Amino acid sequence: MTEPRNPGMSSVPQSNPSHTESSSQAVEMDPVEYTLRKRLPRKLPKRRNDVYVNMKTDFRAQLARCQKLLDGGGHREICVHGLGLAINRAINIALQLQASSQGALQLAANTSTVELIDDLEPEDPDEAGEPMTRTRNNSAIHIKGQDSNPRPP
Amino acid sequence: KTWVTKHEHHLSLSLNEASPTAVKLGQEGFKKVGRIEEDSPCPFPGLAAGVLEMRVKEGSKIRNLMGFAMARIQGEKTGSAVGGTVTGLRQVVFTGSGRAVTKTITCAEIMKRKVGCLHQMTKLRYKVVKEVWESNQGTASEMTVHRTVPSISILLSKDPLDPQEPGYQPPETLSALWEDRAGTEPSAQTTYKRPLGQLPYSGFPHCKKLCLEEEVSVLPPN
Repeated sequence: MTEPRNPGMSSVPQSNPSHTESSSQAVEMDPVEYTLRKRLPRKLPKRRNDVYVNMKTDFRAQLARCQKLLDGGGHREICVHGLGLAINRAINIALQLQASSQGALQLAANTSTVELIDDLEPEDPDEAGEPMTRTRNNSAIHIKGQDSNPRPP
Repeated sequence: KTWVTKHEHHLSLSLNEASPTAVKLGQEGFKKVGRIEEDSPCPFPGLAAGVLEMRVKEGSKIRNLMGFAMARIQGEKTGSAVGGTVTGLRQVVFTGSGRAVTKTITCAEIMKRKVGCLHQMTKLRYKVVKEVWESNQGTASEMTVHRTVPSISILLSKDPLDPQEPGYQPPETLSALWEDRAGTEPSAQTTYKRPLGQLPYSGFPHCKKLCLEEEVSVLPPN
């Protein structure tokens, strides 16, 4: 959970080379560069029919996985979750599943806010910078897909 | 003039996926000059006419949207000693498609947090968007591409909504969403909880400035 993702993605704050005398002082005020490390989102429930959609795995593979759960996995109901950018993909998957079920799959979407934590680590350990953490929010979606047709025995 | 009209319900044509069509058109010197969303019926049947619909677009600024929507749902504060406040609207709808979907949800989430006690109904569907691409290499050719993009509509209501309707969410379900499940499955984590009070934005200047601003305008500064 604390494993850094996207290491060294950006440095905060960015120190610009000073252009004028007056700004040079401002730059000196904050000489420490930080590496922003995004912690993974808080662990959420993981049942067999919970699918967490991400942007790294191939879209078709994730769609196929959901389809398999519904078709062969013996699940009448699955939950597709998406966070941030992956919301779009989660919706897309849910709507595709619905389309391929000829409308038998009933979708119920809920939205929520997920708190995310970033770690700010000083680039240079010798500098006076203290490690910091920062909290931010991101939106999430949770789509419950339920087969509304009675299943043949 | 070439007119190509495509009806594709193919995955790759959805805006959020890497769209080969868009890339190809871009590489071949085409420029997107227009985007028209086809009208679709309101996803919330029985909704009172004249309900405020916030159409969230890719480039919309959340502070603009929320500044407007919050003023309408909370009622205008006249500020005069006589006037007091005019009662706000009972319902607001946020809609957005394609790349604006996340922003749409964020708007609804911000409003839920600030207003409180709002019933929510979320509906998903595909929307057909007509894109007009124009060649910028001198030859006057134009192309129309129909693509389907995911779209979301969120109704927030001060009055109760039908809890049986799919997509209903009762007020203040910030953490209940997960705690419910914990009940059905003992192994699930039950520790998920969000503090309801103000979040520790203040120490971090890089955090969403918008939230800070909005927070100040809505809550009394303490």
